[in-house]
Amino acid sequence: MKPFLKHYHFQTVILVSIILLWGFGLKENTTQEPQVHTVEIIKMKFVPQNLIVKKGDKVIWINKDFILHDVTDEKNDKWTSKPFGKNESWSKVITQDEAYFCSLHKVMKGTIKIES
Amino acid sequence: MKNYANHIKVFGFLSLLLLVIPLQAQESPKLTDPEIASVAVVANQIDIDFAKIALQKSKNKEVQDFANRMIEDHTAVIEQAVALVTKLKVTPIDNAVSQSLLKQAEDTKVNLEKAKKNDFDKYYVDNEVAYHKQVIGAVNDLLIPETKNQELKELLETVVPALETHLGHAQMLQNKLTSKK
Ligand SMILES: [Cu+2]
Repeated sequence: MKPFLKHYHFQTVILVSIILLWGFGLKENTTQEPQVHTVEIIKMKFVPQNLIVKKGDKVIWINKDFILHDVTDEKNDKWTSKPFGKNESWSKVITQDEAYFCSLHKVMKGTIKIES
Repeated sequence: MKNYANHIKVFGFLSLLLLVIPLQAQESPKLTDPEIASVAVVANQIDIDFAKIALQKSKNKEVQDFANRMIEDHTAVIEQAVALVTKLKVTPIDNAVSQSLLKQAEDTKVNLEKAKKNDFDKYYVDNEVAYHKQVIGAVNDLLIPETKNQELKELLETVVPALETHLGHAQMLQNKLTSKK
């Protein structure tokens, strides 16, 4: 009886550990899943103007103005959305800090920072 | 000397407008919504006309980009205004404010056409700064307060940030052109 019980206990501990680890793993997976953030372009502003994201998250810009705008790398012109109009959107996966602007209206600016 | 003369012209233009608009706000009977729609369309059209002259005369890429931006954005504003008045079944009605804007614009156009190649960019950009300031003032102090239709008021309120962005862009160019000299 005793050895059996011991054996039974051992199995339970293993099983519970597996379930716990599995569940924990799953939970970790969901928090790591890339999130989607929205920036509205409204009345000639990026809202929110400064955004903090996790590496790999996606940012979608939606133009709510009836005027064309774009989203462009401000410093080196490395990437650009090209102009898009009312209720159109453009998205980008963020892998590093970015400073961007609307190259059509150079005073419209925004930033994205990777959360450390 | 030529530059100095241009400054005087721009200053004269600006002070004239600053005088005329408040006077009209005080003296003329309040503008009706169809009159306000007319002022909105005329003010946008004027800036498109200035930009077209700039595209013909300027060799500066940034000035040309700015002029193209003015044409596209102000055309978009006119289209919104026309769509709205069509929906509201309102016909824009000519009035003293529209006419004084047009009259001053005619003088400016003559000066833009006359400006020497070397002076043109500075003259155009200085005028854009002054003109956008003036129109922002007119929309905020005259048109928005007097507009009765809520949708027309909202449209005008949406246009102000666009005008302010254009002003900021023009001032940026103005600084660049000034530091170049
Ligand atoms: Cu823009």
